[in-house]
Amino acid sequence: MIQSVPKPAVGKPKGKLGLKRTLIALSFIAPNFIGFALFTLIPVIAAVFMSMTEWSGGADIKWVGLQNYVNLFTVPQRYIDRLENPNFFSILGLFFEKVDIGIALKNTVTFTVITVPLTMIFSIALALVLNKAVKGAIAFRAIMFFPYVSSTVAICVCWNFMLMKNGPINQLLMLLGSNFNKTWTADSSMAIWAVIIVSVWKSMGYYMVIYLAALQGIPRELYEAATVDGANKWQQFWNITLPQLRPTTFFVSVMLVIGCFKIYDTVALMTGGGPGRATKMLVTYTIDEFNASKYGSACAIAMVLLVLVLTVTILQFRMEKKFSAD
Amino acid sequence: MKKLLALSLSVIMVLSMVCVAAADDGIVLKVVAWDVNTTTYYAAQKEAFEASHPGITIEYVDVASQDYGTKTSTMLAGNDTSDIFMIKEVTDILNWNKAGYAEPLNAYIERDGYDLSGFVGMESGYAFDGVQAGLPFRSDFWVLFYNKTLFDDAGVAYPTNDMTWEEYKDLAIKMTDASKGIYGCHYHTWLSAVVNWAVCDGVNTLVDGEYSDLAYFYNLYFALEEAGACMSYPETQAAGLHYSGAFGNGNIAMLPMGYWYVSTLISNIKSGDYAVTDWGITAVPHLEGVPAGASFGNLTGAMINAKSANKDAAWTYVAWLCGPEGAKATASTGNRPAWVAEDVAAVMASVEGFPTDEASKAALLPSMVSIEIPGVEHASEIKTILNEEHSAIITGEISVDEGILNMNDRVAEVLGQ
Amino acid sequence: MAQRSFSAGPLIRPDNHKAAAFGRIVLYILLVFLSVITLIPFVWMLSSSLKLDREVFEFPIRWVPKVFHWENYSLIWTKAPMLMYFKNTAIVAVSVTIIQTMTSSFAAYAFAKLEFKFRDTLFLCYIATIAVPWQAYMIPQFIEFRSIGLYDTLLAIMVLQAFSAFGVFLMRQFYRGIPTELCEAARIDGLSEYGIWARIMLPLSKSAIATLVIFTFIGTWNDYMGPMIYLTTESVKTVQVGLRRFIQENSSDYHLIMAASMVSLIPVSVVFLALQRYFIEGIATSGLKG
Repeated sequence: MIQSVPKPAVGKPKGKLGLKRTLIALSFIAPNFIGFALFTLIPVIAAVFMSMTEWSGGADIKWVGLQNYVNLFTVPQRYIDRLENPNFFSILGLFFEKVDIGIALKNTVTFTVITVPLTMIFSIALALVLNKAVKGAIAFRAIMFFPYVSSTVAICVCWNFMLMKNGPINQLLMLLGSNFNKTWTADSSMAIWAVIIVSVWKSMGYYMVIYLAALQGIPRELYEAATVDGANKWQQFWNITLPQLRPTTFFVSVMLVIGCFKIYDTVALMTGGGPGRATKMLVTYTIDEFNASKYGSACAIAMVLLVLVLTVTILQFRMEKKFSAD
Repeated sequence: MKKLLALSLSVIMVLSMVCVAAADDGIVLKVVAWDVNTTTYYAAQKEAFEASHPGITIEYVDVASQDYGTKTSTMLAGNDTSDIFMIKEVTDILNWNKAGYAEPLNAYIERDGYDLSGFVGMESGYAFDGVQAGLPFRSDFWVLFYNKTLFDDAGVAYPTNDMTWEEYKDLAIKMTDASKGIYGCHYHTWLSAVVNWAVCDGVNTLVDGEYSDLAYFYNLYFALEEAGACMSYPETQAAGLHYSGAFGNGNIAMLPMGYWYVSTLISNIKSGDYAVTDWGITAVPHLEGVPAGASFGNLTGAMINAKSANKDAAWTYVAWLCGPEGAKATASTGNRPAWVAEDVAAVMASVEGFPTDEASKAALLPSMVSIEIPGVEHASEIKTILNEEHSAIITGEISVDEGILNMNDRVAEVLGQ
Repeated sequence: MAQRSFSAGPLIRPDNHKAAAFGRIVLYILLVFLSVITLIPFVWMLSSSLKLDREVFEFPIRWVPKVFHWENYSLIWTKAPMLMYFKNTAIVAVSVTIIQTMTSSFAAYAFAKLEFKFRDTLFLCYIATIAVPWQAYMIPQFIEFRSIGLYDTLLAIMVLQAFSAFGVFLMRQFYRGIPTELCEAARIDGLSEYGIWARIMLPLSKSAIATLVIFTFIGTWNDYMGPMIYLTTESVKTVQVGLRRFIQENSSDYHLIMAASMVSLIPVSVVFLALQRYFIEGIATSGLKG
C-alpha cells in the first residue's frame, strides 16, 4: 500500500487556505471542543482570574491584582536580617531554602528532571523488548501494566515496607557496601528518591503501552530496505525506530513533564510532603492553600505551575516542529 | 448523544419527582455528615429526634471523612442548599463563618432563651467575634487507654488518674518487654498525639506563636523511643500502622488517644476482631504544677446553612441535638456528647463493654479541657506549618531546638501578614 | 537495567550464537526480576483482602494469612451497596470511553492533518488545561455544573471526563506518525476529508484507538476526585467513592478495601487483556527481532 518512503511531516494543503477548508477543519474539532470549552476551558480561565483575587468563599471577592504572586515570592525580612552578607545570591538561596513556593519549586523541578528521562528510557526499552517475539511477551506486558491499575494505596504501602529501616532494599544496598540504613521516607535527602523510584516504576508500564502502540505504526518496509542496505540493528534503531517514534516521544515527554509537575498522590501517601518540607510539591502546596480556604493564593500557585509547564511544552513543541521539518 | 439527552431528561424527571414526593411528608432536613454508615450515633440521633418531632425527617448526606473539608467547602462555595453541615474541624467553621455560609445562631438562642450552661463554655469554640456560628454536640478529650491483661501479667499496678508525665515515662519503660514484643506505650503519628499536651495547662495554645513549651514532650518521646518503649515514628509511619490495630493486637500497654476510640474498641472487641480483651482508661498524665485530670480535646458540631430554606426546622434540630436530649442519644452509643450533665455521664458509663472499675468511670469527668487548636484567623496555615516541622523533628532530621525555632519563625511570619 | 539488556540485544551478530543465548538469558532474568517486583503490591493486596483488619499492617509482612477470611469477599456486598456502585461506574466508564474515543479521534485528525488559523494556539489551549491542577478550577467548575443542573448526576461525571484534552493529544500524535502522502493521494482520488478520516486514518490507528480505549476506560473507572465532589446521593455513587466507606475517621477496614479493590480490578483487566492483541499485529515481529 505504501510505496514511497514516507517522511513524518504536517501536510501542507495544496490549494490556498480557503474558507471551506477551515470550516471542514472546525467541523472535525467542534464535537470535542464544545464539550472541552464548556466544562474545562471556561473554569480554567475563571481560575486565572481567581488567582488575582482574595477570596475565601462566599459573596466577598476582593480584586488584588498581582498581590498573591508578590506574597508567594517574597523572602521574609527576618531571614534576610540574619544574613551576614546579604546579596542577590544569598537571598536567592534563602528563597529556595525558607520560602514555601521556593521549596516546592525546587522539589518539583528536581523530581521532574530525574523522573522524566528515567521513565522514558525504561518504557522505550520495555516496549522494544516486549515488542519482539520474546516468549511470554503477553504475560510480561500485562504484568508491567499492573502498577498502573493497582490501588495506589497498596503500591505505596508495599514500597514503604521495602524502603524501611532493615527493609529488603537497605539490606541489599548494605550487601553492596552502602552504610545507609534508615527509613527512606523519613530521611530528608532520600525521601524524594523514594518518590522517584515509585513514580518511575508505576508509570513505565503505562508509557510502554503507548510506545508499543506506536511501534505498530512503523512501516515494515523501512526495516526491509535498511536490511538490504546492510544496516545493523543498532543503526536501524537509531535511524528508523527513534525518528519514527518522534511524535509519540513528544506526547510521552509532554505528558510525563506535566504528570511530574503535578505529582501529588504518591507523595501524599508515601511521605506526606515530609520530613519537614523535603518533598513538598507545588500541588501539595496548592491543596494546602485550598484547604485553608485561600482560593486566590491556591490558584496563583496553580498558575505558577501552568507557566512552568507551558514554557517547557512550547519548547518541546518547537523542537517537534523543527524535527518534523527536517 | 440522543441517549445522553434521554438519560439527562430522565434524571431530571426522577429528581423532580423526588422533590414532589418529599413535599408531601412535611419537612426533610438534609444533614451533611461523614461516615454516616459506620458512625453509630447518627442513626440513634435520627431515631430519637424523629420520634419526638413528627413532621421533620432527617436525611443524611454522606461524605468520605478524609475529604470532608474539600467536598463541603466546594459545596458551600457552589451555593449548596443542604440545611445543616456537621462541623468536623474547628478551622472549617472558622472559614465557613468568614465566608458567610453559617447562619448566626445568636438570634435563635435569644428568642428561645436557649440554655447554654451545659456546654461549660465549650460553645465559645464556635463563636467568632460574638457570632455563634454553630453549636457542639460531641466533645472528645484525650484519655490514656491501657491493656489490663499486660499489667496483670507483669504484676504491675494499673496507671492512675493522677500520674505525672515522669511517672508515665517510668511506667512505660517498666512495662516494655522486648523479648515478648511488648511495648510500654504507643504514639500515633499525629502532632496532637505527641506534643499537644502542652496546651493542657489552659494557658498555652498552639496558635500563640511560641512553641518552646513543646520541647519537654519531644524529649519525652525521644527518651521513650531510645529505651525501646515505643515504636519509632519512621517505622510507624512507613508501615501505615494505625493506632487502632496496634492497640488491638494486644502488645501495647498504654495508648494516649482521643475518647472516640472507646466506641471503636468496644465494637471490635465484641466482634472478636481484637486480641485485647480487658482494658481501662485513666486521665492523661499531667505536668508538675498542672492539675491532675487536665486534658485537651476537640469539638464536633453542627452549622445551619445560611442558604437553607428550612432554617427554623434546622434550628429545632440543632437545638435538640446539642442539648441534653440529643446528648443522651449520642452517649448511648459510647460517644461523648458536648453537653455535660450527671445523667449523661451515667449513660456513657452504662454502655455495654465500657470498663466497670471506678477509676475508668472517674476518668469520664476531666478537671479541665483545653481546645486542641483554637479557631483563630490563620489556624489552618499554622496547623500546616506545625505538622511540617513536627515531621522533621520527630524523624530526627533536625534537632528539637531547631524545629521549635522554625515553628516560631514561620508562624510569626503568618501572624505578621 | 532493561535499557542495558536492550542495547546489548540488537548488537548481537547472528554468527555469535553463544553471546546471543547469553543475552537472552540475561534478558529473561531481568524481565522476571522486574515482574516479581511489580507483582509484590498485587500479592500484598490479595493477601490483605483475606486477612482481619488488624493483621493488614502487621510487620514483618505475613504473606500467607494465618486464616483465610474468604468471607471478606461476601462482606463487601452486604456492608455497602457495591453492586449499585459497580453498575453506575460501568455506565459512566462505557459512555465516557465511547464519546471520548469518537470525538477526540475526530478532532485529532484536524489538529494533525489539516491547516487552519489558530490551529497551534487552540492545541496549546488543550495542553495547557492538562497542566492546571484540578483543585484550582474545581470551584468555578462546580458552580457552573450546579447552575446547569448537572450536580449529583452521573451525567456530570460523563461530561467531566469525556472531553478531556488527553484523548485529542494522544490521537493527534499517532496521526502525525501516519504519512501525509497517504492523505494527499486519497485527496487526489477524490475522497473527502471525512472519507479520509473514516477509510484511511481509522483503520491505520487501531492500536492507538485500543490504547485510548484502555486509558480512558481505566482512567474513568479509577477516578475518585470527580465523583467525590460531584456525586452526593447514594444511588449515583461510583466504586471508587464507595470504597472510601471502608475508611473511616477513626478506624478503617483495609481488608475490605483490598477485597473490593481486587473485585474492581476485574473489569479493568478484562478491557486490557481484550485489547492488547492490537499491540502484536502489524510489524511487531519483523521490526527488531534478534
